[in-house]
Amino acid sequence: MKRRKFFDFLLGGAALGTFISLFYPVLRYLIPPPSKEEEVQRTKAASVGELTPNTGKIFRFGSIPALLVFTADGTYKAFSAICTHLTCTVGFDSQTQTILCPCHNGRFDLEGRVISGPPPRPLDPLEVEISGEEIFVYRKRG
Amino acid sequence: MKRNLNQTLGLILCFFISINWLFSQTKKNTCLDCHLQLEEKLASPAQAFKIDIHANYGFDCSACHGGNSEKEELEEAKDKSFKGIPSRQDIPKLCASCHSDPNIMRRYNPNIRVDQFDLYLTSHHGRAWTKGDTKVALCTDCHGAHGIQSASMPQSLTFAWNIAATCGRCHSDNNLMKNYGLPGQQEEDFRASVHAQALYEKKDLSAPTCNDCHGNHGATPPEVASVANVCRQCHPSPASLFSRSPHKAAFDEAGIAECQACHGHHRIEPPDYELLPKGKKDVCLQCHNENSRSYEEGSNLREKFMALDAQLEKVSFKIEKIAQQGIEISEARFLSQQAQSEFLEARNLIHSLSLAEIEKKIKESQAIIEKLSTLITEAEREARLRKTGLIVATLFLFLLALALWLKARQLRRKRP
Repeated sequence: MKRRKFFDFLLGGAALGTFISLFYPVLRYLIPPPSKEEEVQRTKAASVGELTPNTGKIFRFGSIPALLVFTADGTYKAFSAICTHLTCTVGFDSQTQTILCPCHNGRFDLEGRVISGPPPRPLDPLEVEISGEEIFVYRKRG
Repeated sequence: MKRNLNQTLGLILCFFISINWLFSQTKKNTCLDCHLQLEEKLASPAQAFKIDIHANYGFDCSACHGGNSEKEELEEAKDKSFKGIPSRQDIPKLCASCHSDPNIMRRYNPNIRVDQFDLYLTSHHGRAWTKGDTKVALCTDCHGAHGIQSASMPQSLTFAWNIAATCGRCHSDNNLMKNYGLPGQQEEDFRASVHAQALYEKKDLSAPTCNDCHGNHGATPPEVASVANVCRQCHPSPASLFSRSPHKAAFDEAGIAECQACHGHHRIEPPDYELLPKGKKDVCLQCHNENSRSYEEGSNLREKFMALDAQLEKVSFKIEKIAQQGIEISEARFLSQQAQSEFLEARNLIHSLSLAEIEKKIKESQAIIEKLSTLITEAEREARLRKTGLIVATLFLFLLALALWLKARQLRRKRP
């Protein structure tokens, strides 16, 4: 092979490689593969003093609703507010101091455990952290 | 040297005496020793007994069969107390001789119930047994005879996943069931139900199986008046809503079993709005005239549910599509979950027959969907903008590369 032909071949190969490496990410962006959205790990749920004892609040934890409860004895508890039966949003029932799903009356205690009704498993727990005047909720790793 | 040798021999002797003493303390079970050597039919009960809960608590064969399991000789082992195989007529009383005695049972488990035999006597099985029918289910038919395990053990015949098969051993036998005027397809129907789907596919052990609706030792079909109370154990909300609906009084007067009338029994399918008027599984026609006002209202309601369901599905599809394009859409997902929740609540309110309440919930769900549509439109616009921007930028990039190549060629040609 002549020296000139070899350089042309090298140039053509490099140009093709460059073209593919530039075009492929563009193509993957235009036709994206299915991918899982990144999960939120920590979010502000409320401010200190916002909730009175024996009340609860629904807040957005990433893409899901979550429930923050300020119990009658003054502790904060947080759970995913998605009922484990048919994914309705649960709420705090101050009369019975339990967590209630309005769709089919699934009831959970303040540890998230099923007391009655159709839910097959407990609510997913979230961790609570008070930082200054703000209450943060996060998902425990591992 | 000699003294050391004597000491060593003494220690070895003590060791063998201790081992011999330890073995002599272990209770012999000569029944098992022999039966395990015998043909399959006689060996299999002995083999199964090794994992039996009674064996784990120190009981041996003589507890049920009599005899003396410590004697080596057959004649001595089968002494006057030997009963052999208990007759089917004797089995419930034999088991009850321990299981109905709180003084015996509390030694092994202080919390265990001792009313199984009393309950059995109230069951259809027990009532037939007291009349001398030994073809009905006895203790050993459901619990097994030699490999009995606690109901919490997955291999147990009474573990939740195994109960349908255990009951089905008799209840799926058409020849046996025809003697009692019972159909033989309950197990098959149950396995096609939403409950079986939860139990076997979702592995949800809280889902009901035969004994959750019929009772276990006191197994009896629920009476018409008590069907709703049975379903209420897991479904309190629909039952409460139904109790305050106009249907309640009408069903009571007509002697119709509440939940069963619309949802059936054994083959209970997932509920959906197709059960409503003009739906594929219309159950209202059982009582209502299709020209009646209430039937028409039900039909309108079904259409509203269908439209809402379609809207939710469309929104959900769009959210997934946008999320795939890398656009942050967590708020839309949050709202979609809320709309779905309102929709399910509205669907459950059908049990109340309160049109005002149902329509209020439908409107709440629709209001959330409207908010969602705005979010989705914005997200779609953002995705389009990003795509267009990328295509334009890429085109310019290629254009630049082409222009550079043409310019280089032009310069090469100009070169003398």
